[in-house]
This record gives sequence, C-alpha cells and structure tokens, in this order.
Amino acid sequence: MRRAALATGAVVVLGWPWAAPRYFVFLASLIVINAIVAIGLNLLSGYTNQLSFGHAGFLAIGAYAAAILTIRAPALPVPAALLAAGLVTAAVGFALGVPCLRLEGLYLAMATLAFGFVVVEAILNLDWLTRGNDGLHVPVGHLGPWALATDTARYYLVVAVAALLIVAARNISRTRTGRALLALRESEVAAQASGVHLAAYKTLAFVVSAFYTGVAGGLFALVVGFLSPDSFDVFLSVDFVAMIIVGGLGSIFGSVAGAAVITTLNDSLAGFQNYRPLIFGAILVASMLFMPGGIASALRKIPLPALARTPGAVRPHEPSRIPRQGDDA
Amino acid sequence: MTTAALVHVVVSGLATGSIYALMAISLVIIYNATRTLNFAQGEMLMLSTFVGWTALQVLNLPLVVALLVAVVAAALLGWILERVVIRHAISATHFDVLIITLGLSLMLRSAAGVAWTHDEFPFPSFFSNRPLAVGPVRVAPVSLGIIGAALVLMLALAALFRWTRLGRAMRAVAQNQRAARLMGISVERVYSSSWILASVVGAVAGVLIAPVVFLSSKMGLVAINGFTAAVLGGFGSMPGAVVGGMLLGVLENLAPLYLPASIKHSVPFLVMITILIVRPGGLLGRVAQRKV
Repeated sequence: MRRAALATGAVVVLGWPWAAPRYFVFLASLIVINAIVAIGLNLLSGYTNQLSFGHAGFLAIGAYAAAILTIRAPALPVPAALLAAGLVTAAVGFALGVPCLRLEGLYLAMATLAFGFVVVEAILNLDWLTRGNDGLHVPVGHLGPWALATDTARYYLVVAVAALLIVAARNISRTRTGRALLALRESEVAAQASGVHLAAYKTLAFVVSAFYTGVAGGLFALVVGFLSPDSFDVFLSVDFVAMIIVGGLGSIFGSVAGAAVITTLNDSLAGFQNYRPLIFGAILVASMLFMPGGIASALRKIPLPALARTPGAVRPHEPSRIPRQGDDA
Repeated sequence: MTTAALVHVVVSGLATGSIYALMAISLVIIYNATRTLNFAQGEMLMLSTFVGWTALQVLNLPLVVALLVAVVAAALLGWILERVVIRHAISATHFDVLIITLGLSLMLRSAAGVAWTHDEFPFPSFFSNRPLAVGPVRVAPVSLGIIGAALVLMLALAALFRWTRLGRAMRAVAQNQRAARLMGISVERVYSSSWILASVVGAVAGVLIAPVVFLSSKMGLVAINGFTAAVLGGFGSMPGAVVGGMLLGVLENLAPLYLPASIKHSVPFLVMITILIVRPGGLLGRVAQRKV
C-alpha cells in the first residue's frame, strides 16, 4: 500500500513536465521549493518547538548568496552555488540561533520576525552588492555541459535537490542526533536529564533549518530568475508558518502537503485580487477549526494510515510538549 | 537640536507610544485570559473605527456618538469572534489558534476593503491642529489629547482589574486557570469579557489615531508595533505594555534625528533584539519557570 502510493507519487512528480503546461511546471517548482523551506522550518518548530517568523529572511539570504555567486563566478556549477547558499545561510542561522536560545515562544517569534525585517532593510541598503530596490537578474545556471535554460530543466533540478533533502530529513530522525531532538520535543527536562545537551541541539536545529531554507533560496533564485527585496516580506514568513501548521507539525509529509496547499491557494486566488485574502483567510480558519493538527494528523485518522505515518510525527491527541490553549503556564 | 524642538519630538513620540501601548494592552488582555496571540487585533480596531466613521458620515452624528458607536461595534465584534470562532478551537493547540486569528485578520481586512474600498479617508479629531506654545516649546494639542485620553483609559482599566469582580476574575484566570475554575469563576465568561474588553480598547485607540494616520483598511498594521511594545515590556504584564509602548514611540520619533536614514526603519527591531537578548522576558516580564 505504502509502496504503491510512493511509486504513484514518484511517477506523477517525474512525469509532470510532460503532462502539464509550462506555467504549471514553474508552479510545481515553486511548490517543491516551498516544501523544502517547510521541511526546514518543521525541523526547527516540530522538533524543538521554536516557531520562527523569520524564514523569509533566511530564504532571501540563500537566494541572494546564490545569485551573487553565479554573477561573480559564472563558471561555478549549480550544486556548488546551492551548497554555498546553504552554508552562508546556515552561518547566519548559527549567529541568530545562539542568542535566540534564551528566548521562548512569543519572544522567539518576535525576535525572528524582527530578523526578517532587518534582512529586507539590509538588502535595500547594501545596493552595491544587491542592487537594492532595482532588483537582481539571476543568470542561467550551468550543470556541467548543460544550461538550465528551460522550466523543465529547472524543475528536475529542484525535484532532485528536494528528494535528497527529504531523505536526509527522514534519516536525521533515525540517528543519534535525531533521537536527541525527538527527546527534546517530548520533554526538555527529561532529555537533559538523559544527557542531551539542550543548547547544542537547539542551535543545531536552527543551523540545519537555516541550511535547508538557504538551499531553497538558491533554487528560488534560479527558478524565478529575478530577485527583489519585496519578494521576501513578512507575509512570506507567515505563509511558511501557515504551511507547517496546516500541513502538520513535525511531519515531513505534512510539510510537503502544507506547501502544496498554501502555494496552490495563493496562486489560484491571484485572479480574485479583492476577495483573495477573504477566501484564503476563511480556508485557514476552517481548516484549523475542522482539522486541528493539520493535514498529516487528519489523514492519520482515516483508515488509510500508511500515507501519513512519518517516524516521530506529532500525534495531536497524545500528550506532547506543545502547550494547549487553556493550559496553565 | 534645541531643547524646545526635542521636547516637541518627545511629546509626539509619547502620543504615538500611547497608541502602541493601548494596542499592546488589548493584546495582553486576550493573551492573559486565553494564552492566544490575537493577530486580528489591528483589523478589529480598523473595522470598529470604520463603523464609527460610517455613523459620522451617513447619519451625521456628532463625534462623541460616533466614538460610542465604534465602541459598541467593537464589543459586538469581539464577542462574536470569540463566541463563534475561537471558542470552538478551544481544544486546539496554540499554534492552531495562531493560524485562526491570522486567517481572521486577512478576512476582516479584505471585508473592510470590499465594504469601504482600500482608499484612505480623513477622520475628524477631538483636538485642534493649531500648535500650543508653552514658553519656547510648541506642542500639538493632538499629541497631548491622545496622551491624556490614553492615560485616562489606562487608569480606568487598572481600576477595573484591581477593584471589580470581573477584573479579579480575569486576574485569577491569568494566574491559574484550573484554580480559578475550582473557585467558581466561569472561565468561559472571562474569555468573552477579555475579547470584548480588548476589542473596545482597540476601538478607542482607533478613533484616537485615525485623524493622524488617516482611516484605511491598512490601518490595522499598527498592531505589529503593538506586538513589539508588548514583547519589549514583557508579554503578559500591563505596566510592561505601557512602558514598552511609550519607549517604542519615543525611539521611533527620535531615531531619524540622530541616525542615518538607511537604518532608521530597523531601529525598533534592533532595539527589540537587543533587549530580548539582555532580558529574555522583556523589560518588566519574568521568564516563566516551569515545574516538571
């Protein structure tokens, strides 16, 4: 059952460029890029309960890093540029994660929100590097002898990178590190008592999350081809948070599903400019009222559980460390 | 920079700050009762101000009556939102409720745009625009009026929390919900009252600020500064909300005088990151101690 579902999924994903019109190939690339960000954010929020409203900032750093590298060093192969984007962003994630260790809940949310604003201001002011408000044209990337000049080529690049990162994320939860993170999620105190270094692992989660988002940013630069600071505003960060909550906290499948739902909604409602936020908001409210815990946990309740079962996903009706409304502080 | 000009800047900073403080207070009222961060607070303010403005324009009512209309509309809106939407999400996690209020804020802003368009409208003020000269210092009566009205409202709220039955119930629920329930307090009623009260405080702030920033569907974005103020002061603390709001307002007005234009927009956020790193619970807040 599970194998069959996975195989069907793989066939659909790989065959998509031949079945769908060009624009939808581009849209699918965006969905996959957002899914990478959502997985990265979920590694942070789903595992260590640190909700970040600043991931658009990380995405911007990755995107600009990849774009500037590709402009200054046109011979650089795409994987190297993506890796560099991820590493630069991870370094920023480390610098932000260490002071943020002291913050919890709302305070962390506000500090990361502020980080997002500061990144956009920095892009505007460093115009010798980023060309500020004029925006930055990203040259076509090269992978060995091939130029990634078509939407289909870029789509396959995005899918390949995403597949790699998804496998890595799944495997993280089976390693010593992953088990430490899972233990932290269930109870910080119990985990610390068992010898898990709280500060080290929380920082690590920040760094890994930033790395994922940075790589996604590099892909974003290649796929969209034009960067300007207003593509990375606060609302994008909020969209990322919506993706993981609508999809399901702590679940990789949920991250992908949430990214697909939110990105498709945003795009398909673009025609109804006036009513767009009204419909979008109504869907957010309804989905949370009738599907608390997100898509992943809703799927887990119907008798076909094979699809959604990710190792270590948060099960909403079992005790977990996520505080419920009405709990005493 | 003369002292007189500096006083002028500080006074107008305090006026902006009182609005931020009122926003922060309404966020804290809801947070203390339901542990929910209400993303829709700014849009609730905007919507009630629009209703008051409609009363003013269409029915030709005097400004005081329009303020009352806005307050009543706000109370209704707060009650309905809590009763119809938030109450049903009571078993959900905080994160779910966060997304719900986010969805509500999008819906309210868009609905206001449909009803009143996304244009900006002038809003009449209680206070005159002619600067008052006190010796060499010139201050705008609008600023003084906003500060005064906000202070009166804050004192009224403080009295309500301190001396009334409802206020005591709200403080009890904020401290420990289970114990409050065991003492016979209807926690559900406290939820409703908190949403109504927060919405009303927002409506007053909206009517005070609308003459300065114009009335528009984007007006609700002032709530972001309210969040910042509440976090600066320590989320959950009312005096903290006031201090945080005033500090933010003054800083925002002073920063352009001393700093290059390129970084002045980042000032509130840089200040917040710095304060949070030094004092992770905000200026007047405490870091919650959790028992195992």
